[in-house]
Amino acid sequence: MAPYLETDQDALVASALAGFARAHPSLVVHDPDLGFVRARDRAPGRRVGLLSGGGSGHEPMHVGFVGRGMLDAACPGRIFASPHNRQIFEASRAVAGEDGVLHIVKNYTGDRINFGIAAERLHRQGIPCARVLVDDDLASDSESVAAGRRGTAATVLVQKILGAAADRGLGLTELASLGSALAGRCRSIAVAGAAHTSPATGRPAFDVLEHLVEFGVGIHGERAELSLEREPLGVLVGRMALRLLESLRPARAPLVALVNGLGATTSLELYAVLNELAAVLDTGGRRLERALVGDYVTALDMRGFSITLLAADEQTLALLDAPAYTAAWPVAESAPAPGHQEVRR
Amino acid sequence: MTGTKAFDGVFTAGWMRRFAEAVAATEEELTRFDQAAGDGDFGVNLLTGVRCALAALDRLPPGRQAAAVPLAAAAGAFLDEVGGTSGPLFGLVLQELAAAAGTGPLTGPALARGVTAALEAVQRVGEARPGDKTLVDALHPAALALRGCAPGARPDDCLAMAAAAAAAGVRRTRALRARRGRASYLGERASGVPDPGAVGIALLFASAGGVPRTLDVVLLDDTAPTEAPAGGPDPLWGPEPAPAGP
Repeated sequence: MAPYLETDQDALVASALAGFARAHPSLVVHDPDLGFVRARDRAPGRRVGLLSGGGSGHEPMHVGFVGRGMLDAACPGRIFASPHNRQIFEASRAVAGEDGVLHIVKNYTGDRINFGIAAERLHRQGIPCARVLVDDDLASDSESVAAGRRGTAATVLVQKILGAAADRGLGLTELASLGSALAGRCRSIAVAGAAHTSPATGRPAFDVLEHLVEFGVGIHGERAELSLEREPLGVLVGRMALRLLESLRPARAPLVALVNGLGATTSLELYAVLNELAAVLDTGGRRLERALVGDYVTALDMRGFSITLLAADEQTLALLDAPAYTAAWPVAESAPAPGHQEVRR
Repeated sequence: MTGTKAFDGVFTAGWMRRFAEAVAATEEELTRFDQAAGDGDFGVNLLTGVRCALAALDRLPPGRQAAAVPLAAAAGAFLDEVGGTSGPLFGLVLQELAAAAGTGPLTGPALARGVTAALEAVQRVGEARPGDKTLVDALHPAALALRGCAPGARPDDCLAMAAAAAAAGVRRTRALRARRGRASYLGERASGVPDPGAVGIALLFASAGGVPRTLDVVLLDDTAPTEAPAGGPDPLWGPEPAPAGP
């Protein structure tokens, strides 16, 4: 492991944000003073601004999902730290629609408090505001964890589906209840063979013995609940799938899978993970309706991946298929344009 | 009406300035409490807040103004310019006070409404309950005391009652074990130390009628008997303040 090329963490975050805006001028506008990125364009029918945010170090989330069809704004915090309430408040005021603004928040204490303070301020200004809390990480699903399950990769699915729903003109309360229902139908689990590099020390955030895999890591270097002996990828993926399917409700729903790289995992490996996952689901007679593979929610340079399953329905799939124009959502996954012709085998 | 002050912008601006002086005078003690229980930045954050609030007060146009104006200016400074979470939570408290005053003077009923709304906002945001060893443990008794004030009571008397109730709440936090925030990870290590956020709230109310230069006004109970009561240590929860007047 080597230290980062830029060791001033705050300078890195600010510079990357400015660079992101330079790279995607047709998609986003960047306010360097207030520290948020907003979409340049939104669907005419959208009545509610969608806003998300959280610590940096998880790129492309969240700024990579700002654009027509998904988020109206994203507020990045410092590395692995919540954004300030002022960023959220100002971004919310900037993107609120006629029916207010919806905050999509990952379940961490700092994020909850800072989004909560911003919501109180918006309320005082007469701007309607509601929240969807994403808490998909099964590894933190325990009676002893008072804060509840952590929010991880499902956040992106929630953002995409709510984005399409917002474009169809849904109001704030409808979007908030759709979002809560969606979050309740998503579960994730993550594994890692090596920790991310700590920006503070330039060393691995924790040590993993060579013959072990950490089962149930968080996206900020939260240690896993158990260490497993390394086993063939198919066995590991089967173990993860079993754990997810045990708790996913409704139990027999068609599935959407997100195989997500945590920062330093190759595409080769991620596609192999999906293949193993599909095999497990096929064997179990489960319908895998859609699959996404890639780096969506990373943990700096952690060597590992997460699997998210969403128990879907027809409406959810239609919303997932609607096109979105952002830096990181795959346009190729969107529904084909009218008049296209299937290539025949 | 001798001695009954009109609680207009002159009073609230003076209150905020006195609070700033009090925080500057006690910052080291606040930091010491937070080092025992949290990450040690509370004193500095509160000091940043009051300094930014003073700068915001200095930017206000000269002349008489409504009570809400200096409160809202201070609220904005705490909310926008202080890092961490406790500083902005103080901003929420001041924002609710400003909202309750509206365009009129800060009356006793407005104080009761404002502090109650502040308590509700802080609890919505931080999800803390009384007894969790947070600033709620000072804000909650202050709200109860203010709601117990007679509608016609003088606002300075109401604030004095709120200050006494908040200080009593702070003293009770010494025996509490934190259940929220960073302090919750320390368990028994932080017991015996009052919650710094609650101390800050008590200091805010104590600053309404003067400038506390030490935390004695919050931490020492001058109404208590000099000898320990026969029943042993103080009960965790004292009786709620009795309503004043009919």
